[in-house]
Amino acid sequence: MTSVEPAILAENLAKSYGQTRAVVDVSLRVDVGEAVGILGTNGAGKTTAVEMIAGLRVPDRGRVRVLGLDPRRDRARLRQVLGVQLQQAHLHNALRVTELLDLYRSFYPDPRSRDELLDLVDLTAQRRTIFEKLSGGQQQRLSIALALAGHPRVVILDELTTGLDPKARRRMWNTIEQLRSEGVTVLLVSHAMEEVERLCDRVALIDAGRIVALATPAGLVAQAGAATLDDAFVALTGKELEEAE
Amino acid sequence: MSVVVEARRPGARSLLTLIRCEAKMVARDTAGLIVPLGLPLLILFSSGFSASDHVVVNGRTALDVFVLPLVLTMVMAVIGIVNMPSFLAYYRRSGILRRLGVTPASPFMVLAAQAIVGILQAAIGIAIAVAVAFLAFGGNPPADTGTALGVVALAMAAMYAVGMIVAAVAPTPNSAVAIGLIAFFILGALGGMFGGRDGLPEPLAEIGGWLPFGATVDALSSAWAGTAVDGVHLLSLAGTVIVGTVVASLLFRWE
Repeated sequence: MTSVEPAILAENLAKSYGQTRAVVDVSLRVDVGEAVGILGTNGAGKTTAVEMIAGLRVPDRGRVRVLGLDPRRDRARLRQVLGVQLQQAHLHNALRVTELLDLYRSFYPDPRSRDELLDLVDLTAQRRTIFEKLSGGQQQRLSIALALAGHPRVVILDELTTGLDPKARRRMWNTIEQLRSEGVTVLLVSHAMEEVERLCDRVALIDAGRIVALATPAGLVAQAGAATLDDAFVALTGKELEEAE
Repeated sequence: MSVVVEARRPGARSLLTLIRCEAKMVARDTAGLIVPLGLPLLILFSSGFSASDHVVVNGRTALDVFVLPLVLTMVMAVIGIVNMPSFLAYYRRSGILRRLGVTPASPFMVLAAQAIVGILQAAIGIAIAVAVAFLAFGGNPPADTGTALGVVALAMAAMYAVGMIVAAVAPTPNSAVAIGLIAFFILGALGGMFGGRDGLPEPLAEIGGWLPFGATVDALSSAWAGTAVDGVHLLSLAGTVIVGTVVASLLFRWE
């Protein structure tokens, strides 16, 4: 792979569900090692856009490449280097934390160790706990650990810290910063301004299925002539982000 | 130009881990074990005493030739047609399959693990039923053990094939249980589960013999009696396997 080839390339993605146009036209380029955040209100099309990038949904139109691989055609190869944390954690509810970690680790040729993953998401004390007995925040942290199990080169994190308490949130941010120091590319869907400002090199504002602005956090603030990223979001989309989930 | 990533599917170690996890899920769902393991035993106890006295053919009693084939068929049918699709539908509804869909695990691997765990479950159910029949009621082994084992293997595959069709068409876990139970009772009723096919109208009895439940009961009955298994029954089971496999491969979905 050449240095100029992007980690993620999405061109003119569109997706409709019946009469509802979830994504109208999304194009995005994320360079290797870069962290890009996607901000948008509830129903703006964020999750549909990243799920097309992850290969979970087939675009009606447009093209996706992740590390140069087609998420549908090159599924087997891409799954080895792409880690995905879905918006809601759905796992085998009768399995213990360590059993789930071992299961997901077994899918990859060079997985992180079980102890490393437990430590990354601070679940060592809950290692023997059945999934359905974990709190919502603990389930979320386990889901993140599973996304990182295979030493991914690109991670897609949908609502990384939603539902986490402040301590766990800071812990996750540290984890993402550690991943970035290892050269991992991060695509982060969020509605937490502080999170994207801290973690992301650039931020895409998505509204009604289109990217309406894409720049560094400071660049967005300057572009909108606003004082904060919050204000910039309102100025550029005409909506309050608090409306988001 | 894309990165150099070798397409390495998860191997045997991964499949074994998945099988272990599926087995733990089944074992921890104790309610789901009651019907496939308990109901056949109930039938065995309710008919075992009278059936074990009446010799039918080749020294084999009614217990051997009629009751045991029915009981073993019920074990396989409940696990294949009711339990397996309800598990798969739950996985799909809850998003577990979707979550697995973003890992290198393939749908085939998930189905294979489910099938292997189901076979183990059926083997345990059959072993318990046969042990109870032998120890409590003086049951006899099949006159043709090899044929009996072959029929069990083919029948298990056929029951799973029916289960795969149920899993493919059922949109929700509840509907999977409902469709699975309806399929089980229809196939069972036509296959002689409620008092033998002799009591059914001739056309229904004929159809029942072609369907997997009745075909399994008749084929096992022949194996126990030491008479030749009717080719129609084997064809029926093999045909069910083919149809179920084709439907599953065409319609299986992560979501």
